Amino acid sequence: MRVAYYSPLPPSRSGIADYSALLLPALAERVEEVVVVAPGARAPRADVACYHVGNDPGAHGWIVDALRRRPGVVVLHEFVLHHLVAGITLGRGDARGYLEAMERELGVAGRLLALGVADNLLPLPWETQPERFPLAGAVLDLAQAVIVHSAYVEERVRASGYAGPVHRIPHPAWPEAPVRPAPLAADPLVGCFGYLNASKRVPQLLEAFTLLRRRRPGARLLLVGASGERFDLERRLERLGIGGDALLREGYVAEERLWSLMAACDVLVNLRSPTMGETSGSVIRGLSLGKPMLVSDVGWFAELPDDVALKVPVDEYEVETIAAALELAADRAGELGAAARAYVRREHDLDRAADAYVAALEQAAGGEAVADAVLWRIAEAAAEVGIEDAGALALEARRAGIV
Amino acid sequence: MRLLVCRPQVPFVYGGAELVADELVRELRARGHEAETVAVPFKWYPGTRVLDQAFLWRLLDLEEADGRTVDRVIATKFPAYCVRHPSKVVWVLHQFRQAYDYDRTALGQFSESPVDRATIRAIERLDRVALGEARRVFATSRNVAARLERSVGIAAEVLPHPPQRLPYRAEEPEGYVLSVNRLDRAKRIDLLIEAARAEPGLRVVVVGEGPDRERLERLAAGLDGQVEFAGRVDADRLADLYARCLAVYYAPIDEDFGMVPYEAFLSQKPVVTTHDAGGPLEVVHDRRTGVVVAPEPRELARACAYLAAHVDEAKAWGAAGKAVAERVTWDACIDALLA
Repeated sequence: MRVAYYSPLPPSRSGIADYSALLLPALAERVEEVVVVAPGARAPRADVACYHVGNDPGAHGWIVDALRRRPGVVVLHEFVLHHLVAGITLGRGDARGYLEAMERELGVAGRLLALGVADNLLPLPWETQPERFPLAGAVLDLAQAVIVHSAYVEERVRASGYAGPVHRIPHPAWPEAPVRPAPLAADPLVGCFGYLNASKRVPQLLEAFTLLRRRRPGARLLLVGASGERFDLERRLERLGIGGDALLREGYVAEERLWSLMAACDVLVNLRSPTMGETSGSVIRGLSLGKPMLVSDVGWFAELPDDVALKVPVDEYEVETIAAALELAADRAGELGAAARAYVRREHDLDRAADAYVAALEQAAGGEAVADAVLWRIAEAAAEVGIEDAGALALEARRAGIV
Repeated sequence: MRLLVCRPQVPFVYGGAELVADELVRELRARGHEAETVAVPFKWYPGTRVLDQAFLWRLLDLEEADGRTVDRVIATKFPAYCVRHPSKVVWVLHQFRQAYDYDRTALGQFSESPVDRATIRAIERLDRVALGEARRVFATSRNVAARLERSVGIAAEVLPHPPQRLPYRAEEPEGYVLSVNRLDRAKRIDLLIEAARAEPGLRVVVVGEGPDRERLERLAAGLDGQVEFAGRVDADRLADLYARCLAVYYAPIDEDFGMVPYEAFLSQKPVVTTHDAGGPLEVVHDRRTGVVVAPEPRELARACAYLAAHVDEAKAWGAAGKAVAERVTWDACIDALLA
């Protein structure tokens, strides 16, 4: 089987690029050929195409363009795709495309709303409340099959009316390798990695850290990653008095440094709300290192087992809960870490993920021909004895998983 | 109870799987149940035909017969376990191995074409549905259970079955090594013939028929009568061959279960097998109930020569095997299948 593979890849800085860099070698071992398609390149000859779709129009717009030309298997890394859809419609002067996507999701009300957005009369929904208007249907309509990473997204894909095959394949973990922790002393060292903004609950984390610091003066906060455009991290840190010895700050770091910093942490924090249905490679990395992990009790994060991650509800007690959970995680690091490592080995095995990809891609490449062959013979046998409508037989074949 | 035992039937072929199903029917009847075999011809090629064959089973209505309820169906192997019944128990002798562990080996049948690959995926889905809906799933060996778990994520209870009825007995060994098996490549009888070539003192008797016979006979030509092909033999002759042999050779590639070691053990004979034989390794333990060696003719030759030179050990290992085989009874099997 030849697979045409569409995804951002390093040096592009995104979780999906890292994901593909991890998956591709394992996938290539299992199929005849994987042709990685570059942006702007012509579609290669292939039995099936695999499209990795996320919410960033800059990184994924060209992939949706390719998907429009040839249907294939869509890997839905996030369910909320409003920013992507707006980028490849309004962003290219295609107001009609945006109107259609909104109408598909919300009917006439959606169309009217889209008109208001297109005419600059309303705030941009992909910035203010994208989770209310995911617009995933615009991509799902083109998908031969869908790969998701969580039950949360699978349910939403089904709820949106998608009737094709949906394969849930957990985000694979990176192969275990010795990591030398960065020499950072703290009691405890709390780490937060990735894009830093309000939806990562950084304001709540900062407030919680100040509470923790009162009880544990040796606590230090390590923030790694770029801060959001409209998120004034420096001012918030200053206002809360988090600086000096309490704060360690790094921007985007290379892979090796990332692992080293993560390994140095006593507790990792990966909060999220609202969720766009994403899975976090950062969480998988942290768990595979056997680190205690705090996550928000939403979306995919809520699906982590209770003994593996401390789940923080997004409510009015969030700050106090985070502070308490940080202490608890630091105190029970051994127990939580062992459970985390065991969970990742069990559920996020790279070979299993690659096998599941091959199964999904093989089904997409030849499944229709198999179904046609079987159903044709059934219909033919029925027709020979005067039964022209073999619909019931076909239904049973489908129910049994035969076609 | 009114019970139907479902098994596929490849026309003109009668082997271990057919034998087990028919024995089961007989044992059920002996315990006062109304039992009957349901067999549907099976042809698994070319390409997607295997799915049509599975679908035939799906279309059968076995919930009642002649106006009376069928209490339970017991299905033994693919595609018979695709049958629908509210009280279906599956006793998996094996899955359709061409779609699993045989794939991309000399024993496989599917190419790299998208249709062939998708056919394999359809078989996996079918197995998940058909086995997933069963009231209970048993596997005849830990090997088969492990394959099920690995391939389709279904946990099966291990339930080995007794071998066929024969007038088992032990007599003084006459020095030959016996092979009892269908003659096809997967059974690796060629290894034993090559071992005979490496060890001129080794005599071999090969019981069974199959598509590989001609090749095996060519292989044995020039060995000066060391290898005797006995063909298909009746029960008395088979029991006699077991009774008088030195040891029994049984080393298919990753066999599901393997009834032959049990037959050898009931005749108090040790079994010579290989590290990669699969199911037999659950009862053939090196230097306790037989000899386990690498799948190399020279290794096999050495093992057989050792047994010939140490007949007392061979007898002791055979006797130990008998104790193992006697623990597997039809009473236990039927209790589990009807629970």
